[in-house]
Amino acid sequence: MKIKKLLFVTKFEDLCYDALKSLLALRNAALEHVVFLNVIERDKVAMQRGSGYLKEEEVKLKETANIRFIDWAENLFEMGLEVGAYMEVSTLIPEILKVVEKESPDLIVIGHSFKSPLEQLYAGSDVTELIRRTEVPILVFKHRSEDNIVPEKLFERPLFATNWSETGKKTVEYIKELGKVIGEIHIMHVVKESALKSLDTHEVQKVRKIERKRLDDLCDELEEAGINAKPHVYVGDPQKEIEKAAKEYQASMIILGSSDKAAVLERWIGSISKNIADKSVFPCLLIPGKKDI
Amino acid sequence: MSKKILVVDDDQDVRSFVVTVLEENQYIPLVAQDGVEGLEMIEKHKPDLVILDVLMPRGSGIRLYRKLKTDEELKKIPVIMFTGIALKSFLKSQKALDEFQGGEVPKPDVYLEKPIEPEDLVAAIKKKLG
Repeated sequence: MKIKKLLFVTKFEDLCYDALKSLLALRNAALEHVVFLNVIERDKVAMQRGSGYLKEEEVKLKETANIRFIDWAENLFEMGLEVGAYMEVSTLIPEILKVVEKESPDLIVIGHSFKSPLEQLYAGSDVTELIRRTEVPILVFKHRSEDNIVPEKLFERPLFATNWSETGKKTVEYIKELGKVIGEIHIMHVVKESALKSLDTHEVQKVRKIERKRLDDLCDELEEAGINAKPHVYVGDPQKEIEKAAKEYQASMIILGSSDKAAVLERWIGSISKNIADKSVFPCLLIPGKKDI
Repeated sequence: MSKKILVVDDDQDVRSFVVTVLEENQYIPLVAQDGVEGLEMIEKHKPDLVILDVLMPRGSGIRLYRKLKTDEELKKIPVIMFTGIALKSFLKSQKALDEFQGGEVPKPDVYLEKPIEPEDLVAAIKKKLG
């Protein structure tokens, strides 16, 4: 699946032009269309005692967003890209889903800033909700540190954590389409400690060897698609090990597939994808599986 | 006979403004809210003139303008660009697309940057339609 069209969801403070710029490497793959979405949360213009519906505030917020989008759009238009924009007073996730239906993007980009615990909680629940309700891959963008530095080369060194699921296979196909923009990909599988219980050293080595062989095969498959890939087997808690590997290999982002069935998806999101998407300092590309929405 | 003018703009306030100006000047207004709907309306109604925004969902005015100016049947329909996007950026985008897609499209005859006074809009329309 080529990324021809991306939906860039911004509140401006969490996702700005520098983030968008780092995504423009996708032009070398297939990107030709960027759609901006700014959702003005209803409570900012809602009925208030003594003032009623804040129509003037709505106009002001929409115009502010429009001015920013015009500025960004001019830059993208000049590169020959197609650009569209939505500014709506609404609720974030339903509005994203509405625009997804209208525009059929190949990737949704949303921000995730590290601010107060309450804000983190809300941002986290947005991500979780979105993963649950769309089959479109989601890039959860992160600023690397509190000074809001954006990773310039987002696709240079991604880390793909595979759990060998069907969605993992879909993710591999997605990665292949990014061949022209990925510098080098690190592929890891985390063997849970529980899988090694009551095994002797020989058996542990055997598990490692089997997993390494599977990873080698996957790396070969990706190298055939022109992507330089390196395999890694880790043991332990998947969330911690994925984060550890991302740091060790200085990953530019973490790529994760999520499970296929609703019930399993719930557990998976709860245990790994959601936690990494919410808590990791690394940008996360989440590839949802098929689901009955 | 009154001339049909299609307004393609995603901003409802802008559409209302232009429609009012058109009606006051005895034109027949048609409206579309994005590039895709705009093209459908053009093919269906063959308007005498199109007033076209640039930054819109579901297909920008840049692509629609290009489509109009490269279509044998539609290229004679005059287009007034009416947008917040600077002319310089519009021209650069067309140049980039010329290089990428091949071919060359003519510059728009009239390029109005928002906001604009009603009399200036009417003057631009009259210039194109006589």
